[in-house]
Amino acid sequence: METLLGKIAYCVEFGKINKKAPYPPDMKDQDGADELTKQALDQGINADMILKNGLVTGMEKVGIKFRENKVFVPQVLMSAKAMSTAMAHLKPFFQSGEVKHRGIFIIGTVTGDLHDIGKNLVAMMIEGNGWEVIDLGTDVKPEKFVEAIKKHSANYVGLSALLTTTMINMEKTVKEIKSNTSGINILIGGAPVNDEFRIQIGADFYSPDPQGAVEYLNKHVA
Amino acid sequence: MFKSKKFIDIKNWINGIVRSEIKNAMPVLTYPGLNFTGEKVSDIVTRGEAQYNCIKILAERYPSAASLMAMDLSVEAEAFGSRIYLRDNEVPLIKSRLIHDSLMIQNLKIPKVGTARTFEFLKAAKLAAKNINNKPVFGNMIGPFSLAGRLFDISEMLVFTLVDIENSHKLISKCSEFLKEYALMYKECGVDGIMIAEPAAGLLSADMCEEYSSTYIRDIVDYVQDDRFMVILHNCGNTIELVESMASTGALALHFGNAIDIMEILNKAPTDRLIFGNIDPVSIIKNSDSHKIKSTVRNLLEKAAGYRNFVLSSGCDIPYGTPEENIDAFFEALEEYNKELKI
Repeated sequence: METLLGKIAYCVEFGKINKKAPYPPDMKDQDGADELTKQALDQGINADMILKNGLVTGMEKVGIKFRENKVFVPQVLMSAKAMSTAMAHLKPFFQSGEVKHRGIFIIGTVTGDLHDIGKNLVAMMIEGNGWEVIDLGTDVKPEKFVEAIKKHSANYVGLSALLTTTMINMEKTVKEIKSNTSGINILIGGAPVNDEFRIQIGADFYSPDPQGAVEYLNKHVA
Repeated sequence: MFKSKKFIDIKNWINGIVRSEIKNAMPVLTYPGLNFTGEKVSDIVTRGEAQYNCIKILAERYPSAASLMAMDLSVEAEAFGSRIYLRDNEVPLIKSRLIHDSLMIQNLKIPKVGTARTFEFLKAAKLAAKNINNKPVFGNMIGPFSLAGRLFDISEMLVFTLVDIENSHKLISKCSEFLKEYALMYKECGVDGIMIAEPAAGLLSADMCEEYSSTYIRDIVDYVQDDRFMVILHNCGNTIELVESMASTGALALHFGNAIDIMEILNKAPTDRLIFGNIDPVSIIKNSDSHKIKSTVRNLLEKAAGYRNFVLSSGCDIPYGTPEENIDAFFEALEEYNKELKI
């Protein structure tokens, strides 16, 4: 069992989606996260163990390697794709309540920003760590964030901006969320954003990398 | 220091900066010119005359070492056929991806320079080159890898570089062919160089940056750069490990964003290139006050004092809506620092 879960974690870490995927070249024609997760379930391995010892373990390793500049965005995206493929097999177990999410995290890019790469990276990493992610997409108006927070009773929301011209809209979004909800923790991120800007706009947490957001969230629900 | 624009020898201009006893500045400054012209961002990016008016008024008002045209990284993708969102006071955005697969890459036609809004940008370049005579004028365009990301969707493009190397290169090659001709047309309009913004390359490892970006930038540099026309390569991403690859393109100047410590860059970069950077354009220049701007600028100038190839700049585009007094404070800090150097 350990070997199979280890293999799943390895596939997630190195972005091996399925058998026919050409990447990584040194794993050509080998089973990927897709086939191995299905095998694990067929063998009766608990879905929660697959999540924690396979997917979460793999994504954590990727997050740390990304922070240490040992892998870069393309490789992280491949890992996230492998993770999502495996996660699809676990979806019925989340729906039945057999596996529980660590919490709900809402994310979107702020008004005017259609660039979703940073948002997607963070969403995938957080989902890969066992959270339910409600992705509102791009160019999200402040009131839509508020509506989603209320609808899902979420305590954590992430705002992303890639452009210097749109990060300004984060401030409006933070104000709107803070004045219309309670107990919400707002995380911000994106290429032009930093901790100084977070303080200026009254958000709760800034991380320069997705792993920082994962660690912040996990610490809060530990 | 600067003579008639027609006779600017760009290598002499660079040498003048390097030999200068004082520090120079060239912030990425266009949209705040709207404070003075009273027009909208959408005017600048759709009408050459409006953009020229903005550049001209900034050139007269501020002692920037050179004038820069507007940074709008949707112009070239629109020329290929991408649809854009055009809003009054926001830089245009690409609506959705134009290219979805390898077949579409093969069928993608390289547009003629002058298509869509490239015509208006070139008109602005021609007017600026003709009428701004006391300093160089630099055009602005996107880099080939970033343009490919605009056409294919950047997330998908990054994955594509791992799973379909051949077609990734085909797409970037097409982007690069267009950009070479676009840069050449800027040169023919009479401007003194071009800033190539390649932020998407900041998402790559050094090896991948070399393969998918720098190789193509080098080709553009070889095509247009000479004694009267220079290339400034801008990357506002995480560039610490990319400096060597960026410098290997041959671009005479490298421009860095505020995501990195410029001192690390200055320690690594070749001393025969101008290094521009990197005051935070939003948190500091737009959103803070004169006092904070002055102290931040001064701190950077003091840290970089030993580097003669350093030119003070913003880390990226200074946004529309930046107060006039904040831009004033940026240049006042430079002036005060330089005055003390002369004493």
